[in-house]
Amino acid sequence: MAEREIWSAADLLARLEHRGKFFILDVRNREEFERVRLEGRTPLPAVNVPYFEMLELGGKDDMLDSVIAYMERELASQLPRDQPILAVCAKGDTSDYVAQGLSRLGYASATLKGGMKVWSEHYSARTVVEDADLAIYQISRPARGCLSYIVAGAGKAIVIDALRHLHPYLDLARNLDWVHSRGLEITAVIDTHGHADHISGGTALAAAAGAPYYLHPFDAIHPTDVLPATIAYNFISDGQAFPIGRHELKALHIPGHTLGLVALRLGDRYLFTGDSIFIRSVARPDLGGKAEAWAPLHARSLRRLLTLPGGITVLPGHFSTLDEADDSGRFAGTLDDLKKRNEGLQVLQREGEAGFIRYLLESLPRFNPDYLDIKRVNAGLLKPAEEDAATLELGKNVCALSQAYTATGGAS
Amino acid sequence: MSQAFDKQFDARGMNCPMPLVNARKEIAKIERGQVLKVLATDKGSVADFQGWAKVAKNVQLVAQETETADGTCVYVHYVMRKA
Ligand SMILES: [Fe+2]
Repeated sequence: MAEREIWSAADLLARLEHRGKFFILDVRNREEFERVRLEGRTPLPAVNVPYFEMLELGGKDDMLDSVIAYMERELASQLPRDQPILAVCAKGDTSDYVAQGLSRLGYASATLKGGMKVWSEHYSARTVVEDADLAIYQISRPARGCLSYIVAGAGKAIVIDALRHLHPYLDLARNLDWVHSRGLEITAVIDTHGHADHISGGTALAAAAGAPYYLHPFDAIHPTDVLPATIAYNFISDGQAFPIGRHELKALHIPGHTLGLVALRLGDRYLFTGDSIFIRSVARPDLGGKAEAWAPLHARSLRRLLTLPGGITVLPGHFSTLDEADDSGRFAGTLDDLKKRNEGLQVLQREGEAGFIRYLLESLPRFNPDYLDIKRVNAGLLKPAEEDAATLELGKNVCALSQAYTATGGAS
Repeated sequence: MSQAFDKQFDARGMNCPMPLVNARKEIAKIERGQVLKVLATDKGSVADFQGWAKVAKNVQLVAQETETADGTCVYVHYVMRKA
């Protein structure tokens, strides 16, 4: 009997980042499997057999007996012997039967602890910089492709684009051991824009930390309902400065993805771009339902960003694929670097604003109607229960143009 | 008017895959043409019972509904034994 391993979400992420070789046996139903899948730096080999098919067609009363009978009879030719097989289900109980069955059959097997639910809510923090007077941590939610940041100086912290769960920020702020400061006081929480693809943790984190929450007022109006937000927020305006220790973050109003999108610039060193420039792609202009009116704004805003110093490090609001990460798992690149490898920026540089607008409008992905509800939640116009919030957020963000191609083209 | 049934199985509080594993054992205990009513709190059971009924030759999913009991949502599946 081979060993059965239990992989946590963190274990899985490490393997995905380092191109660990493994094969996925996903036992969720076919719709769920098609909708949300594990994604690595490159496409992962996977087979999907819903557990209820194994149970029924395996033909035994007992779950484990059925799974073993089914796999032995039907799957033997598809399951590799030269690498571990990771069993995956919705919540992690069913996959454990499958992993046990695999191990009884002599396969190297593993189960994903907590299943896709825990994976979808897993967070990972990476250090971008830790100087004597400045620290930046990138906090990602890998299953969702969402990125957020803690910027710290002199014992204080500003959180940018806080995601729905607050523990990654509160824990890091509480426990951080950095230079002379033990723990950080969160003094401001900023959303670069009104998010459509995920539920913001901004107002809740601000309340928990006793700090002000900031949003550009244009994004405090729901774009299709044309109703004002009911959340408590402070205005951000172009040029506004947020001091942090010896440094400051300066807001640049760069409408396009939304009307109230801001980037935050930390001198000539870092640029938090929100949803404007990502590592390999640019943001889509259609999430307010007004792509033709907003695309020209987007083009002008990105032109403005391109005039910034080439050595500035871009820290985006999303990633499209894990392969955009560097060897340390961080999603970052200098503006000069992105000018060379970012498809949207290349079009903009080569074809100018008119060509770029054409490119944007021609590559619009499918519009997910849930985005309108997510924006309502973020504006305080809708208050979902936890389970509904998790369902609304299912799957990966599609804020970027690039992954939209794979999402609609079915390349994966 | 809610669906008629012959036997009830309470799978509330059980996690996947147990509601289905147990319902499958229970259905073996009823007669052909009879209906088993299954109560579950696992939301995933809705799609799972549908998928199971498609592959299982001896069962038919007659109806599904939701009830709220003490503030928690209960997913109710009516499964008929065909053979
Ligand atoms: Fe966005």
